[in-house]
Amino acid sequence: MNWGVVRAYMRKEILELYRSRMIVIVYILPTFIIILFGYGIRLEVTHARTLIIDHDQSKLSRDLAERFMHSRYFDSYLFHGTEQQALHRIKQARTEILLIIPQGFEKRLLHGERGEIAAFIDGAFPVRGETMSNYVKGEIFHAAQSVAPGLAPRITLNSRNLFNQAMRDEDAIVPGLFGLILLVAPAILSALLIVKEKEEGTIFNFYSSPVRKSEFILAKLIPAFLLHSLNIFILFFWATWLFQVPFRGSFTLYWLSSELYILISLGIGLLVSIITRAQIVAIVLTIIITIIPGFLYSGMLMPISSMSGESVVEAHIYPVMYYNHIVYDAFLIGQGLDAPKIRLYLLILALYAAGILALGSMLMKKELR
Amino acid sequence: MTRTFWALVTKEIIAFFRSWGLVAVVLYSFTLDIYIAGAGIEMQARNVSVGYVDRTGGALSYRILGRLHAPEFKAPIRFPSREALYNAVRNREIMVGLIFNDDFSRDYHRGRPARIDLLLDAIAASQSFQALQYLRNIVLDFSRIQVPVELKIHKLFNQNARTSWFMSLAELLSITTLLGVILTAAVFVREKENGTWDIMLLMPIDPRITILAKSFSQVLILMGGILLATGLVLFGTFNLPINGSLAAFFLLSFFYAFTSAGIGLFVAAVSRSMLQVAQMAILIMMPMIFLSGAWTPIHAMHPLLQKLSLLSPLRYYIEGSESIFFRGTSWMDLWPYFAGVILLGGLLYYYGFRKIGKLF
Repeated sequence: MNWGVVRAYMRKEILELYRSRMIVIVYILPTFIIILFGYGIRLEVTHARTLIIDHDQSKLSRDLAERFMHSRYFDSYLFHGTEQQALHRIKQARTEILLIIPQGFEKRLLHGERGEIAAFIDGAFPVRGETMSNYVKGEIFHAAQSVAPGLAPRITLNSRNLFNQAMRDEDAIVPGLFGLILLVAPAILSALLIVKEKEEGTIFNFYSSPVRKSEFILAKLIPAFLLHSLNIFILFFWATWLFQVPFRGSFTLYWLSSELYILISLGIGLLVSIITRAQIVAIVLTIIITIIPGFLYSGMLMPISSMSGESVVEAHIYPVMYYNHIVYDAFLIGQGLDAPKIRLYLLILALYAAGILALGSMLMKKELR
Repeated sequence: MTRTFWALVTKEIIAFFRSWGLVAVVLYSFTLDIYIAGAGIEMQARNVSVGYVDRTGGALSYRILGRLHAPEFKAPIRFPSREALYNAVRNREIMVGLIFNDDFSRDYHRGRPARIDLLLDAIAASQSFQALQYLRNIVLDFSRIQVPVELKIHKLFNQNARTSWFMSLAELLSITTLLGVILTAAVFVREKENGTWDIMLLMPIDPRITILAKSFSQVLILMGGILLATGLVLFGTFNLPINGSLAAFFLLSFFYAFTSAGIGLFVAAVSRSMLQVAQMAILIMMPMIFLSGAWTPIHAMHPLLQKLSLLSPLRYYIEGSESIFFRGTSWMDLWPYFAGVILLGGLLYYYGFRKIGKLF
């Protein structure tokens, strides 16, 4: 291998990246995604828009309505229209919860009978619907308890939230984004660097010159690798400074696994560049094969331990799961290399990187097909 | 005029079908990709992995564990000690750990409140919160408390809380945006890169017709894709309900396809190469998709983002489609969504149209 050739080729790549302003995307895109998703994904429900129709107008029913109005989970208003009108508002997506307290509610309770309350909940967004119905149940149960103190349950749950005491959405989501961002961005860059030459025809310079295949690949991947390595620190900065996610583990481990992960992503880009000839196809293909798994198997929206059947297998095929396990551990748990599982996953990442890069270099042809 | 228009449309469509790579990618996006997103992403707490340490004699704890069953919970796994359970939670193999201390059943039988210690992996914040709610309900139910108030909950529109319905629809709309912008931009930028675009503008054909025809051809391709995805994936695989009018959905989609083509025109106008198209498209689309309410309901966002989301045409498209499919909103009540898509789309399209039509 002639390092002079590699260096000259790399210089050309970096100049081109700089001149085509591609350099901007290398740094803007990851920051952009982490800020948008970090602020954008909210699974916690507060301020559910609630309408209460009180047909009873008694002390008990008013107390109940009060409770809902003072809860931070609901933005409640008394509604003085018909039930039809209120349901129509749910259809127009202007209201999410409708509570109806029927006439004679207090009377029935005082007579020792069971009072009935109807709740209509917008379930179009499933998680939200489920959470809202749990809130309503809880609120009504607490209201009943305050009226009839004998209602203490015989079994109590003493729960400890590990790793994320306050159950902050930021802590849960932001570290999971690393696996998505560092999978998508380097792959797009490395795929485009090669496919661009194919589409423009300049790849013939490589085909016909004595530059060797390994030199070409190194020259393409090293600049992308170095540029994206900086993103490891940028992302870390946003997570800890902007989103205030705690960092409990070892930074070296985080950094090392991220570098390996970037290599894997570059390898994916390399594979894409082998099977595509047009830049547009390369872009769309890279986005599609990286974003969906980057989300699905990130453990961010759905814990890996909750998967079953084929998705368990798929999760183990993509590199996201291994990397995100290490990142979540580094941020929130802090076991580091003491845990055998982390050591194993780090090893898998290293093998993955070596394997995918070797496969890419093997399949790449230095000739016209 | 019309002949030139249709000739150009046909030319673009033929060109599309000739590049088989592109056809394959578009087909994949409109079918398998939507399927994977719909079938794979489950944000509800399902199959929660449970572990337990039992220091009591059995009976009572078994009766409680017996109530943890599918689809919410996986079969509970027994651990010898608290430390082993804690380790499994740290390795993220167990999400919920229950610890029955030795005084648990004694307290229960003596009528004192009996305590279960719970370890929750709060990294999956939303799922562990839901799992906690399920457990609370189970325990309440177990204590056989007669709450004097009966609550009847009616979940509207998606009774069984199926995430696949929601996710597959949201994915279809996001894919439409992605492909609409990139395909349209590519059609123009490819000509720019090859240097034939200036020639097109100098030809004795009205450039407006050329632009209109080229973008219209991509709208047709998109509509084909939407039709395919709706029939094959949404209805065929996930059995989405349709409570509103299907015609309204396709009409809204048609307008939206034009909107995304308009964004594509704009992107094409400001970029000189495909590389720049990729950058611009991602920079414009990412915020559009995330401000649209596909991932988080709009009113749960930061107030500033809520205001910004009014500028995302995808927001109107998603809310409109959700209303048509799930809420069964009538034509009359759909006007805000149509107005939003048409207004924003018209502006974007007009701007891109003017910009790309200029020779220098």
